[in-house]
Amino acid sequence: MWKALLRPALTLAVLALAVLVGRALWSHYMYAPWTRDARVRADVIAVAPDVGGLVVDVAVADNQIVRKGDVLFTVDPARYRIAVQQARAALAATRTERSEKRAVAQRRAALDSTVVSSESRQSAQSTADAADARARQAEATLAAAELDLARTRVRAPADGWVTNLNVRPGSFAVAGHPMLAVVDARSFRVEAYFEETKLGGVRPGAPVDVSLMSGGARLAGHVASVARAIGNPEVEGLLSNVNPTFHWVRLAQRIPVRITLDAVPEGIALSAGMTCTVTIHPAG
Amino acid sequence: MPRELELFGILFPTLLIVFHVAAIAFWLLDRALARAGLYRLVWHPALFRASLLAALFGGLGLAVYR
Repeated sequence: MWKALLRPALTLAVLALAVLVGRALWSHYMYAPWTRDARVRADVIAVAPDVGGLVVDVAVADNQIVRKGDVLFTVDPARYRIAVQQARAALAATRTERSEKRAVAQRRAALDSTVVSSESRQSAQSTADAADARARQAEATLAAAELDLARTRVRAPADGWVTNLNVRPGSFAVAGHPMLAVVDARSFRVEAYFEETKLGGVRPGAPVDVSLMSGGARLAGHVASVARAIGNPEVEGLLSNVNPTFHWVRLAQRIPVRITLDAVPEGIALSAGMTCTVTIHPAG
Repeated sequence: MPRELELFGILFPTLLIVFHVAAIAFWLLDRALARAGLYRLVWHPALFRASLLAALFGGLGLAVYR
């Protein structure tokens, strides 16, 4: 009697176990918020000179660490020094002119109206005002020339690493044309691309484990934010271009999730672009 | 447990390796059970064996992911 019951019971018990375990693994694999598709990112600042000219000195090497304000390279300042001298000379000339015109205007203003016509007095005052305006214009020109001279030294915009150093002494720097990049050392973060099916478990503030493909200790972080838009290949330009074939098999889109790293352990050198695996723990 | 393992410079999901481990474990267990004569106590041996493999793989997989 018990043997007749045991036979189906044993089989059904193992079957039930298999279904439960299989279902748990499936839901974990499909819906738990973790992804192998994540990259380390950092802000890359394109450094371009503000003034053009020959590069006379490059003060940094590729991949070197720099602090904010360090001189990266120098554009030949000779021409900008000459411009400053020129502006100074022009300023001196306009100032001399101004003092002369002012003296004339004051003299005429002091004279009696029987000696000087009011028209002559007024015109002298206007000439003095115009000379004053020209002097102030010359001051502004001098300030601009001095700014240009200061900008011949191209400085690091943030603490970070020089990368893609593409400038040598003697190369010609064009204003506004980037010549090297500085990777902002404080901007390292992880961007994890989560399938839309898993986004339900992603909450800003939730603690996160990041393990790099290169191995080493796990990094701790937390979810900062979820991207609110990704590209849609069916809308390009003004008009939609919808694919007329609708596929039976569809792939979940991946949405970038921004992860802030709480602390990077000593001995782990992050490079923007590294691959990592990200696991989000339930918040709390 | 890392979720991917490196073999010859290629990264595999750990689940793939876990499946092979589960298959080998199942094969050994299956032989032991057959020798012990347990399958005589089983209602549908084919269903029992398939469920056993699934439970083994699922259990090992959960151990990796949890």
